[in-house]
Amino acid sequence: MSDFARQQSEFQRGILSGDDTVLAEILDSPKEKRETLYGVYRYAYGSRLIEAMRNEHELLHSYLGDEMFDEMGLAYVAANPSQHPNLRWFSHVLPDFLRSTAPYSEHPELSELAALEKALNDAFDAREGPVTSLADMSGFAPEIWNDLRFEAHPSTKRLDLLSNASAIWLALKNDETPPDAAALNEPSRLLIWRQETTPMFRELSGEEAMMWDEATSGIPFGVLCSMLATHDDPDGAAARGAGYLHGWITSGVLSGVSAGD
Amino acid sequence: MNVASRMPGSSAAVPADGAVNPAKPPFLGFGLGLRAQHYDEILNGHPPIDWFEVISENYMLPGGQPLRVLDRIRERYPVVMHGVSLSIASTAPPNFEYLGELKDLARRVEPKWISDHLCWTGVHGKNLHDLLPIPYTSESLDHVVSRVQLVQDYLGRAIVLENVSTYVQFNNSEMTEWEFLSELSRRSGCWLLFDVNNVYVSAFNHGYDPHMFLEGIPADRVVQFHMAGHSHMGTHIIDTHDHPVCDDVWDLYVAALKRFGRVSTMIERDDNIPPLDELIVEVIRTREIAGRVLQPAKDV
Repeated sequence: MSDFARQQSEFQRGILSGDDTVLAEILDSPKEKRETLYGVYRYAYGSRLIEAMRNEHELLHSYLGDEMFDEMGLAYVAANPSQHPNLRWFSHVLPDFLRSTAPYSEHPELSELAALEKALNDAFDAREGPVTSLADMSGFAPEIWNDLRFEAHPSTKRLDLLSNASAIWLALKNDETPPDAAALNEPSRLLIWRQETTPMFRELSGEEAMMWDEATSGIPFGVLCSMLATHDDPDGAAARGAGYLHGWITSGVLSGVSAGD
Repeated sequence: MNVASRMPGSSAAVPADGAVNPAKPPFLGFGLGLRAQHYDEILNGHPPIDWFEVISENYMLPGGQPLRVLDRIRERYPVVMHGVSLSIASTAPPNFEYLGELKDLARRVEPKWISDHLCWTGVHGKNLHDLLPIPYTSESLDHVVSRVQLVQDYLGRAIVLENVSTYVQFNNSEMTEWEFLSELSRRSGCWLLFDVNNVYVSAFNHGYDPHMFLEGIPADRVVQFHMAGHSHMGTHIIDTHDHPVCDDVWDLYVAALKRFGRVSTMIERDDNIPPLDELIVEVIRTREIAGRVLQPAKDV
């Protein structure tokens, strides 16, 4: 290892772990000791990463407050040193961290609130894609509708929450007092997407969530309607399927419809 | 393979003075760093700004509003890409994934130039997201020259490198920062972004006269000025870029204009972002001072 490489390793280790070896190669300034000057880099490391986390998770920050958020942030920074050149992706495993790390794991709404914010952030700058319109659908003859397959817009994501994190998100977003955290009897099934430039989410019924999940994995419309028929009133299955499809198209969550395989 | 080991390291082996795209970037006038808080005001109005500098990493994204806005800004204004993660002085292997994304963004934006900092941001696969200092030695100079040449070859254009604010100096440095920058520019052909505030900050922190820095940089290599604010801690200054430009930095700007002549200049605010109008006042001031100092116009 070259002298230059060794010096960089020691400089970095001093910031990440508090090791002082590199101080032997740093000069005091005319007005300040080297420990204080090097300390500028040590302090900036944690504070910059936590600031990035505050930006990405504004509502989790509101929910926890400064002190708890920063304490959590320092633990996350220690467990997940940044490995990506772009700060945008630094907190991308925060939901996993909160789900698996005590004491945060004892409060499932924290992980789910972070997951919802992450999904909205990801939708905001997701890849562009065509948006299927109602006019696109008019080109398909009724007899081939059973063969229609659907492609999700790149910004879409499905999220099943087991807590009332979405209600907490809505209250915080509206500057209202959030409800007490609570576990749900049935999962809250969310669809997240970007409409024009704005990230959105809405809750789906169990039936619509099932149809969305199957449709976006390549199941054709005719089979989807058969699946809906097992879920609720069989006679209304095709109408319900068409209704869900209409809603998806008007929301702009589909990027393509094709007939056949 | 260690890149430094396969790249020519001696000045004799390296074409001097801009082997890649040797044409000096054009004078753009007086600009501003583009920040998301000002998107609507800029797109809905016609602020008197000659050009914008964008933080490259803020647009190295799959899609969405930031890139759409940038496309629209680009239709109206010249744009320069300014990165913070090139890590040109790192001894870690080059990050070609990053360079690929940077090149893709440059294809889309067609910037007047691409700049970053003379610094490193991490080694061993980690990124500290800071502009970290280096010792000014012949070893580090050889290394950075070879890295700049590699990046310039990859991007197909000469890059622009900025002096960073530093808080520490290393006891093994063999030359001054300005000697290092001058030699780096001469040997690699990169251009220089002279951050007036950073010179002021580093000069205070290390106890030298900032005019020595000014006089030590070859005038014909400087293509851009940054103007920014900082936080004074009494015994040292921290480059926070969250304040208006202070009087001392305005004075140093006058000296820089006298030394370097007409140079594309911009106001850079990274935190505590004020309303656009406040920054426009500073942009106008850069233009007025340059007009006064450079009468009659002095081209470099």
